[in-house]
Amino acid sequence: MLIVDLVQSIVDGLLFGATYALIGIGFTLVFGVMHKINMAYAAASVGAAYAALRLIALIGGPAWASLLIAAAAGGVFGLIIYWLCFRFIPLSNPLATLMSTVGMFLLAEEIIVHTTDGMPQNYPVVVRGILDMGEFMIRGDLVFVFVCALLAMVVLLYLLYRTKLGIATRAVSQQPVAAQLVGIRLNHINALTFIVTGMLGGFAGALIGSAVGLLSPLLVIPLTIKGLIVTVIGGLGSIPGAIIAGLLVGMAENVFQYFRGVTERDIYVMLLLFVFLVFRPGGIFSNTVKRD
Amino acid sequence: MDFYLGLLQVMGVHTQLGLSAYVVLQTGQVSLAQAGFMAIGAYIAAMLTVLSGWPLIAALIAGALVAGLTACLVGFPALRVHGLMLVVATIAFTEIVRLFFFNFDYQIARGSLRVGPLGGEGFRQIRYFPENGWTTLHVAIFIWTVVALVMAALWWMDRSRAGAVLRAVGEDEIAAQSCGINLTAVKVSAMTAGGAIAGLAGGLYAHYTTHIEQSNFTILLATFAIAYPILGGLSSVFGTVAAVIFIQGFLVEGLRFLGDWRNLLFGALIVLVMNIRPSGLLDARTMATLRRLFSRKEH
Amino acid sequence: MLELSKLSKHFGGVRAVDSLDLKIEPGQIFGLIGPNGSGKSTTVNLITGLLGVTHGSIKLAGEEITNLPTHVRLETGIARTFQNIRLFGQLTVWQNLWVAENARAQRERSSFLSRWLGGERGARARITRALEFSGLADKADELAANLAFGEQRRLELARALAAEPKLLLLDEPAAGMNPEEIGALDDRIRQIRDSGITVLLIEHHMELIMAIADRIAVLNFGQKIAEGTPAEVQAHPAVREAYLGAAD
Repeated sequence: MLIVDLVQSIVDGLLFGATYALIGIGFTLVFGVMHKINMAYAAASVGAAYAALRLIALIGGPAWASLLIAAAAGGVFGLIIYWLCFRFIPLSNPLATLMSTVGMFLLAEEIIVHTTDGMPQNYPVVVRGILDMGEFMIRGDLVFVFVCALLAMVVLLYLLYRTKLGIATRAVSQQPVAAQLVGIRLNHINALTFIVTGMLGGFAGALIGSAVGLLSPLLVIPLTIKGLIVTVIGGLGSIPGAIIAGLLVGMAENVFQYFRGVTERDIYVMLLLFVFLVFRPGGIFSNTVKRD
Repeated sequence: MDFYLGLLQVMGVHTQLGLSAYVVLQTGQVSLAQAGFMAIGAYIAAMLTVLSGWPLIAALIAGALVAGLTACLVGFPALRVHGLMLVVATIAFTEIVRLFFFNFDYQIARGSLRVGPLGGEGFRQIRYFPENGWTTLHVAIFIWTVVALVMAALWWMDRSRAGAVLRAVGEDEIAAQSCGINLTAVKVSAMTAGGAIAGLAGGLYAHYTTHIEQSNFTILLATFAIAYPILGGLSSVFGTVAAVIFIQGFLVEGLRFLGDWRNLLFGALIVLVMNIRPSGLLDARTMATLRRLFSRKEH
Repeated sequence: MLELSKLSKHFGGVRAVDSLDLKIEPGQIFGLIGPNGSGKSTTVNLITGLLGVTHGSIKLAGEEITNLPTHVRLETGIARTFQNIRLFGQLTVWQNLWVAENARAQRERSSFLSRWLGGERGARARITRALEFSGLADKADELAANLAFGEQRRLELARALAAEPKLLLLDEPAAGMNPEEIGALDDRIRQIRDSGITVLLIEHHMELIMAIADRIAVLNFGQKIAEGTPAEVQAHPAVREAYLGAAD
């Protein structure tokens, strides 16, 4: 075992983990606001990336534009999911919303498979280049992904903490009844939450595509699982938690792969989850905010 | 004819799987672990008949017991996590089981052949039925006999105090505790029963398909497992059966009219049903009405 | 019957219940009053075990129950109703009572199997009687969620009584009732006391509690500020101050 190779794994994992962090943020934000889980989130994110690919192929454009298009598409998908799965189902029926997002997940996956005949699609590389640091290399594309993800997080945090929309969102997540009493329109906020997280997800989907080099429907289930794991480890409803957990999971995944290979890697990621569930069920930063 | 018998077999196993989720869901625990328990039951039962020459019923029971025991062990830590975290934990459990069998080799020589589970290739040659002269019809009847027995047991439980206690826990844990109900005992028992039923389903599945592998027991299957009782309504076992027939019938028969698009519409169908009837096809109100219509006061 | 010694519950810096001493004799109707936020509901939750105690002890009929889990305390003979009714809405009226039978059956140590199956005729007879008593006999098959508010309150009370407790905790049972219903409630509570059950009554409804309680304790900010007969409590200056503010 070479220290150098190990460090390489860690670094690569950390950089890629930023995308997991974005997906985790999306899951956790929806959970924080509505106390419900959107199982279709990762599927919609990958779908948005596909949509961006299609559009670029149709009308041409630079590779980096796909990121923005994916974000836009993700926002649209997010709104659609909100309408079909949450808007009209009584929120007191958690099983129904859970199941409807599962239905949405199946729907999204099938659409992806249908429109691409199940063939993986090549994703254009946005940034090439490798930073040679002697024994290591730092992959340019991964750095780009990392930086973009970081930017997205900064924008999101700015939205949440410095704008009226963000304050309203946080109000709803803490005390929905009180929020309504001060004139916040619940449906609007919920819909906007889905749009914003959808955009985040689409952006993440595109970043993942550019890092992996291709998009495939096979990405969807593992991404959903990893996203959920990140959300739980980070603490339900905690954005800083999701960020750290995302990086942690990305790094751990690569390290496990380095030591035990791809087939066993996921077992250890699951075990990592169990460790957290046993010792810190509240997540990395246990959420201290209580709903009414 | 064989085609319809095959469909019956699939429906039977899926009903069993749905029933295993039904029990657990009643206590308010959303468990995506049923596919994992099914896998355990499948591999154990198959290994017992193929590698150790056990008779079928004994092997099925053994598979169910091991699955039930695993479920019991899972049930205790599951108490500490609620809601979404339980969903994720059970997803992780099913994945671990699947990955375990992906890496699991245990073969012995039988004459010139090697039989037994072989990692990613799975477990082939589970030939108990053909070797013992069972026809497809026999198998279908057998499967549904087992399913009917389990259904009868659950239906009877639903009408007993045990059933009321399960639902009480699922509805309001604080009130249930304050009525003297031991939450731990109830929730772990439900998980155990669900695991055993799923294990039994797995054993049946392994023997009628004759070839099982880890990719058969995915999270997707686990979502089907909870989809049936949720779509069918948690108030009656018949809801689950109805949902299985509806969904499987749709998926298979739908092939004729919709071709490749049936999977697409399946997802859309679920979204539609959940919007129109969030409590499922046979929910508490419907069941209460049906009960009033059909029965006189039996107390 | 019930003895609270130096009972305390702290939530971080907040002392919801602060060193509370209380002694309730068997067969009493004991009232607990105090302004909102004074710790009444917290005390009830501590007694039933839904909240863990920070300091102090709780004894029922001389036995220490401070560290017993909630469902076990039911078996030892405590039952309660809730401020916001907590019925099992999706279960029928009959099933709601049936579930509560569990605690009583457990105390009698019937075999696990017969308890689990709940098929004893004795249980049926008891539940039928309870239904008639609360005037809900014709609604036995109705889903609890479909009952009228008054009926739901009656059902909750019936459910608590089904466990045949020694001590009954009533958490604001008169909330939302009109004077007629309160009159009926008054009679009901007296009946319960006469049948040998000790009652701890938390209420905001002053008329009811002054009329019915044998002794009353007053809480404010988690501490007991007065205790005595209704007349004594009404005249107590600290009580006046707590409810009305300091005298000018």
